[in-house]
Amino acid sequence: MKTQIVELYSDSDMSRLERKVSVWTKVLCIVAAAALAACVIMAALTNTANAGRMELGAVVTSTAAGWFVIYCGIFVVSRDKRELAHAKMLRQEMRERVEGTITVTRERLAIHKSITALRVDVADGDRTKRVLITEQKGDALAKAAADGAAAVYTAHGYVAAYEVMVCDS
Amino acid sequence: MRFIKNVFSQLHSFILWLMFSAVFWGWIFTIVTDAPAEEKVTVYCYVSEIRDKDLAVALEENRPEGIRMIKVHPFDYVMMNIERMEDGDIFILPESQIETYSELLAGADSGAAAGNMDSAGMAGDTDSGSMSDGGAGSSSTDGSAESSGMDSSMAGGRVNSSGGFRIYDAAAGCGGAAQYIGYKGEDYYLFLGARSAHLEDGKALEIARRLMDME
Repeated sequence: MKTQIVELYSDSDMSRLERKVSVWTKVLCIVAAAALAACVIMAALTNTANAGRMELGAVVTSTAAGWFVIYCGIFVVSRDKRELAHAKMLRQEMRERVEGTITVTRERLAIHKSITALRVDVADGDRTKRVLITEQKGDALAKAAADGAAAVYTAHGYVAAYEVMVCDS
Repeated sequence: MRFIKNVFSQLHSFILWLMFSAVFWGWIFTIVTDAPAEEKVTVYCYVSEIRDKDLAVALEENRPEGIRMIKVHPFDYVMMNIERMEDGDIFILPESQIETYSELLAGADSGAAAGNMDSAGMAGDTDSGSMSDGGAGSSSTDGSAESSGMDSSMAGGRVNSSGGFRIYDAAAGCGGAAQYIGYKGEDYYLFLGARSAHLEDGKALEIARRLMDME
């Protein structure tokens, strides 16, 4: 048996996140531009007979598109951007090894204008060290802990990697 | 569940965007659906029931050259505010309100019977203002009436002492554009606006004539 360090954010995770942010940003730009274009066309096609309908159409279109952009901008793009920045930080910082029984709690900490984290308790005898993990990676660490992971590597109090035992082959 | 929670956490943003959207596009469409005074004819009607959009569309069908837009508004559109109606080209008023809005009406303050309409050939004959005789008007049109195509028998064909042309005859129960304008109870008169940008070029008059001719 030997130990293996598993990074929470692998290179493929990083590139997947970067791609996701990029695609969603483009999608939101396209939706916003299409809605604006539709509203401008409606304004251009307006005459006395259809003015009311066209104005209502423009308001509904811009409102619906705006809501979609706001929702996805906040809950997809911004969240992923923050996660990406957080992951970059974790990969660059010095790490501390913490050993013990790992318990991923459901206690959420929503840090203003930053990531949402879950509290992780690492108990070693009487001592319990509290660290944090990004919400998106909580399940992965909980599964690893159930599979026998007994140490985590932290940077700035956040879990950056965990240690698992693997068989020599 | 998460979606609903997220939506509620940003409810203020959604409401703000809705308000911004309504105000912004309302402003844009106000600009789009308006034109300079020289390119539009504005009609104000002192009635509570009016199919203003339909009437404007009907009047726009053969609008005079150079006129991009016909706007029809009830008086409550401007909250009866006289100042905001100063640029009106045509006014349709019940007899009882003529005095109140006389400063808006062409020829009204001078009290000259028939006013500019008469000179433009719209008038049939003048009336002392009693309106008691109602009904069909006489035909005392001059040559200009024929050239402008006005028919002095329209809607009774009478001009009152303020210079308005009777567009609705309450006694006979008929009048111009009655399918669009909900006339009620008394005679209604059509006036050109004192500050109309279309007094000289005759375009307000042309629209007025079409109003009188409409069913």
